[in-house]
Amino acid sequence: MSSFTDVNALTERLSTRRVRARNESAWLLPNDGTRFDKALIENMRRHRDADEVDLVIVGCGAGGSTLAQRMARAGWSVVVLEAGPFWDPDAHWVSDEAGSHHLYWTEPRVISGSDPVPLGSNNSGRGVGGSMVHFAGYAPRLHPSDFHTRTVDGVGQDWPIEYADLRPYYERIERELPVAGQHWPWGDPHGYPHAPHPVGGNGEVFLRGAAALGIEARVGPVAITNGRFGNRPHCIYRGFCLQGCKVNAKASPLITHVPDALAHGAEIRSDAMVSAIETDREGRYVTGVRYFLRGREHFQAARMVAVAGYSLETPRLLLNSANKHHPDGLCNEHDLVGRYLMVQGAPQTAGRFAEEVRMYKAPPPEVSCEEFYETDPAKPYRRGFSVQNVSPLPITWAEHVSAQGHWGENLRTYMSDYVHWSTLGALCEFLPLPQNRVTLADQRDRYGLPVVDMSYSMCDNDRALMKAAQARMEEILHAAGAAEVMTIQRFAHLVGGARMGRTAQEGVVDASLRTFSIPNLLITDGSVFPTQGSVNPALTIMALVDRAARLLADGARAGMRSPDPTQHEEYST
Amino acid sequence: MSRASGRELRAAERERVPGGGENERFPGFDVIEQAHTWDATTSGVVLERLGLQPDLRFFGPAEEAAAGALFDHLLAQWEEPRVPVVQMVDARLAEGQTDGWRYEDMPEDGEAWRRSLAALDVDARAAAGEDGVCFANLSREEQADIIRTVQSLESKPWHGMPAGHVWSLWTRYACTAFYSHPWAWNEIGFGGPAYPRGYMRRGVGQREPWEVADTHPEEDPL
Repeated sequence: MSSFTDVNALTERLSTRRVRARNESAWLLPNDGTRFDKALIENMRRHRDADEVDLVIVGCGAGGSTLAQRMARAGWSVVVLEAGPFWDPDAHWVSDEAGSHHLYWTEPRVISGSDPVPLGSNNSGRGVGGSMVHFAGYAPRLHPSDFHTRTVDGVGQDWPIEYADLRPYYERIERELPVAGQHWPWGDPHGYPHAPHPVGGNGEVFLRGAAALGIEARVGPVAITNGRFGNRPHCIYRGFCLQGCKVNAKASPLITHVPDALAHGAEIRSDAMVSAIETDREGRYVTGVRYFLRGREHFQAARMVAVAGYSLETPRLLLNSANKHHPDGLCNEHDLVGRYLMVQGAPQTAGRFAEEVRMYKAPPPEVSCEEFYETDPAKPYRRGFSVQNVSPLPITWAEHVSAQGHWGENLRTYMSDYVHWSTLGALCEFLPLPQNRVTLADQRDRYGLPVVDMSYSMCDNDRALMKAAQARMEEILHAAGAAEVMTIQRFAHLVGGARMGRTAQEGVVDASLRTFSIPNLLITDGSVFPTQGSVNPALTIMALVDRAARLLADGARAGMRSPDPTQHEEYST
Repeated sequence: MSRASGRELRAAERERVPGGGENERFPGFDVIEQAHTWDATTSGVVLERLGLQPDLRFFGPAEEAAAGALFDHLLAQWEEPRVPVVQMVDARLAEGQTDGWRYEDMPEDGEAWRRSLAALDVDARAAAGEDGVCFANLSREEQADIIRTVQSLESKPWHGMPAGHVWSLWTRYACTAFYSHPWAWNEIGFGGPAYPRGYMRRGVGQREPWEVADTHPEEDPL
């Protein structure tokens, strides 16, 4: 063995040791072929409702789980209330599309606007692990330009932080997931802790088309182990990433942060639907949350509350928590709650090849390209898009085919051609617009709570990006040898709805994710994004929350114990 | 049923593609032969679709008749054995298993199904000019005309609902049921569940030893 290899191996061993020292989740999973250690749940610390815990977190997805793990490590007493179940991947998840319906948030919701956005399987999770349980696995970083699009491009909104503020947290989370991929040349160039995965037919087609056009494309970045990591095995390329990874290879907070959170004393109360955040009599600070568990309403007292229900449920909860002092909902003095919601335009273009591609035989995330991410002054639109592999399984493929207007014999014939198609998906940076928002519908759910009405309407820049991205994907597929292409207009991801800002007029939360309105209320999920770039949001959510957790642990706990009016004054200035 | 191995099932399930004919593009391919390599949870869910479906609970007789005729057209299922789409959709509606959203200008899915199926009967009566007629009574060509009309209306209203949103409802439920069925997977050459075994031969032109090559690779459906 050369000394060069020795040094690399040693560096890797040391860095893995550092990961384990701050987050032992991967080593707390079983090593016997089962996927979650039930003893962690059985032996979980349990609080009574009357215990005033340091922190209650609403929602156990990317944001909530990361915060729970970090704060439990910092010695805080933490209770996470999660509306969905505590998943057992062995017993609850299947390698099957229709059989995975329970992974999605399917309580009633209304969609409206000129471009209504389908929810459910498309972008909404439930249960411990949240939407990351069924995300594809792409884990790219935002670019430095994303943090000041208003100043530089005249669109969107500047963040109250810069890329450099997040970089160390990106690096930490990338090691904890861990992320596999080739060296990344775009944005802030960086490498990844795990080597790129071998590609399947779909990725091969993308690489071939990009090479023919002289476009850079890279394998990754995906939050899927390439090699063993703790007790997590390597990927087996079964293709069902969107149905929950039964292998424990693809990252979700259920396996990347929850085990360590439990081991350090956090309590995760699943099947607990939070109905309202309560404030003290004067409405100055929050005192805990009301929630439903097994049909009964409870109240969990807490010194601090963090809402991490994602871009629809977080605004909904704030709006549903209206009281005498906050008649328009909590933190809504400036009519910002629910607004500036964003999805990404996600046109999906497939190409037909005489060879068999069989795109179902690999993780859907394989190759991506950020060549068209930044504003190109020569183009009539601002900002840009990324292009990634997607690999629809039969039901989602049927949706793609039937969107072309095919039904009956045509549908069956097209569908029988499945093995010959390769698919790309774009993520177009839609701009934050005030009229794209969550409000409460007249309809109520089974708890009697008003449900979300999500209104979405694209602007001209959004439309121009969708068209440009589709043209670029068609070009890549043709260059790879496709004889025919077909596209379906889709949307992906959700962010915004309670954005961060420099001032209370500009955002619902500040750069440390504390709400401007109520000093002991935080929002720790994707709803705080002021803009979204052309990346999948999971990694950035975790990095932002990791940063907020660091700030919280470093300083502010003492100030949050039973706040009195004097303390409140300090926080509001 | 859910405990039966793929091999036991195969003897009982001689028909392997919808309609029961030959699998034209992937002759002899039977994804159920791989069921012994699947995990028990997945096998249970998938193999149940080959067994007897629950009795109808949601659709009344008139709705059952209209839905049956509609699905035959949407999925071109003209002969037995059919993928039991009527039963599969009925079960979803009975359980309120929606996609987690509805358009603002549409009722909840169950109500939207009832109204759109009743509307097919109204259109059938108008087309036939007779009171006693229903959609299922019409000839195949007459039924297809009505369905084509709904599709062509796009965002225009059809019996008080935007036709495009009705079309989306119909095709979503129909395709989700049909393409969850192993017979449909056989027809399209899909390898199916792959845990804990995984896929080993990836890449353009690669096949697992048990996968069957397409016999008409040049046959672009265009």
